[in-house]
Amino acid sequence: MNAFIENGAPVIVQGMTGHQGMTHTARMLIAGTNIVGGVNPRKAGTTVAFTTNTDAEQVEIPVYASCADAIEATGAKASVVFVPPKFAKDAVVEAIEAGIGLIVVITEGIPVADTAYFVELALRKGVRVVGPNCPGLATFAKDPAQHGVNIGIIPDGIVKRGPLGLVSKSGTLTYQLMGELADIGFTACLGAGGDPIVGTTLQEALAAFEQDEDTKAVVMIGEIGGNAEQDAAAWAAKHMSKPVVAYIAGFTAPEGRQMGHAGAIVSGGKGTAQDKKDALEAVGIPVGRTPGQTAQIMRETLAARSLV
Amino acid sequence: MDLYEYQARELLEEQSIDTPKAIFAQNSHEVALAADKIGYPCVIKAQVKIGHRGQAGGIKVARNRDEAILTAEQIFPMSIQGHKTSGVLVAQAKNILHEYYVSISLDRASRDFDVLATANGGTEVEQIAREQPESVKRLHINALDDFDLDAATSMAQSIGFYHADVDQAAQVLLKMWRCFKENDATLVEINPLAKIGDPDDESSKSLCALDAKISLDDNAAFRHDGWKRFTDLHQSDPFEQRAREHGLHYVHLTGEVGVIGNGAGLVMSSLDAVSGAGEDQHTGIKPANFLDIGGGASADVMSESLNIVLSDPQVESVLINVYGGLTSCAQVADGILSAVESLGSSKPIVVRFDGNAASEGLRILREAGNANVRVCDTMEQAAQVAAELASTAKEARR
Repeated sequence: MNAFIENGAPVIVQGMTGHQGMTHTARMLIAGTNIVGGVNPRKAGTTVAFTTNTDAEQVEIPVYASCADAIEATGAKASVVFVPPKFAKDAVVEAIEAGIGLIVVITEGIPVADTAYFVELALRKGVRVVGPNCPGLATFAKDPAQHGVNIGIIPDGIVKRGPLGLVSKSGTLTYQLMGELADIGFTACLGAGGDPIVGTTLQEALAAFEQDEDTKAVVMIGEIGGNAEQDAAAWAAKHMSKPVVAYIAGFTAPEGRQMGHAGAIVSGGKGTAQDKKDALEAVGIPVGRTPGQTAQIMRETLAARSLV
Repeated sequence: MDLYEYQARELLEEQSIDTPKAIFAQNSHEVALAADKIGYPCVIKAQVKIGHRGQAGGIKVARNRDEAILTAEQIFPMSIQGHKTSGVLVAQAKNILHEYYVSISLDRASRDFDVLATANGGTEVEQIAREQPESVKRLHINALDDFDLDAATSMAQSIGFYHADVDQAAQVLLKMWRCFKENDATLVEINPLAKIGDPDDESSKSLCALDAKISLDDNAAFRHDGWKRFTDLHQSDPFEQRAREHGLHYVHLTGEVGVIGNGAGLVMSSLDAVSGAGEDQHTGIKPANFLDIGGGASADVMSESLNIVLSDPQVESVLINVYGGLTSCAQVADGILSAVESLGSSKPIVVRFDGNAASEGLRILREAGNANVRVCDTMEQAAQVAAELASTAKEARR
């Protein structure tokens, strides 16, 4: 078990038969994720063959007509969504209604009104949504013979199991910090997503890591836009017993310009990287100047507390 | 996407929210025709996507045709906080009895929609909220619930439309909500929502949207025919235009180091590293652009990206920072070499690879032996080298 999902949990893929879905289902299988089915009403009853890395062995992944069918047949605990933006809301709502516990939404470009809808629905039903517009969730099992889960697009093989948790608004910065701290290792790395509204905020991820006894310290990667970092700082000041080290991207971003991610925008002087840095430092969360320096601060923090 | 006032008015009018008569004009001839049609006095308002236009001299009253033309000619060449004026709105002047502020916006923190209103409108709502927080009313609309006439009426009552008709205010709120929802807006703001009319004649009084600000969700463009009617052709930067045609996220900045990377966060981080290097080296070197090639980029995408960045005359050096997840650094290396070859550019390029096929990508670059392409082990080091090379090139040109 880790902060978000049990090791080896069965996972279904919504949008598996599309290009993105095919590419990443193959990747997730090679990473050892227990993928048990895909969902596509037009291809229900068929199977799709994927190659796993062990002796080029083929596995046949069945396609189901709906999330409800897939869950009934497989006992899936989580779903990952690669469905295009136009159809993403219906796909996530379907997964929520089918009663799955965790939904990881990779899709970029979902209208924010659609996201607001499914996130609120998930909150009411007690379902965790991760994303949208995120790299997903990777977890690492304590027992080396077991697999965690790799749900989404986070590259496998960067890191091993260790005492760190990571939550990030950015995909490649997640990989960057995972790489920098690969020798120390992680319990789980969660991409919160770069959209204005996400299912699991930085604060909610910190709360999950605080609860998880194997996680000893957390790396938090933020960027310009909104107040998620300030909210996380305020929460951490009151509730977090474990050290947090942060990195914030976008100090040079101009006002009013969206920097790639839909949520990465400074508007009306609000959501600047400096404001976020100030808020974090005010509650004793150090903020690295670069990803490299952030990793260095984390090493020092762990050493000072004899956590490694 | 932010709209101009004249475009925002269009969306309010489609919901039959009252606005003063107004005509958008882009030259003196159009201004004269518009002002004659609207009547005098009229208000000439700079159309620019930034607030505080009044303080910047972008809003003026004209009492006759000569004044209208003169005022418009002063406003046309204006830039307000770096935003070029795209024309003027010639609007009917109204007798204002009272000013309210009303907005509906996406609330990122509470993950719902936020209705904000005050009976002390006309100025900055942030300032009012600081000075008289009790006068600012706030209501959240949940994404699963609807905002109906009952909710709008109780909101109108709590805001305290003390002279105006509460029913009329409730109608405005309801229409604003429809405008917000139907257009996939992230902000619909009316400031001021003015009570206008003859002070001595109660029946002449009504609520009118004198100014409006609307932002639309770019992600929802597919539901609105791509918002073709709001395309802002004459304002768009040619480099941004070209990048958009290739589906790349590009933002033009003012510095000297072109920055290309994969993933919005990593590219932002690279911009910060370049600015930091410029500060460390006391050269003031800054990034020239943000360019995200996205996940799984091919050699062609890399090549086209480098083409765009190298064709920008302000670029003195280029930093390419790629963490290969799905993207293969070997592909990126091929793209770099093919762009450098076809362009014959002599601008220095500094590359940092990590992740998927990083060592293969670096080997490809080293074996090509191009003196203008160098590699660094870390992002910080690459940013330092790129900033140094940009500064040297800039000095040499002086």
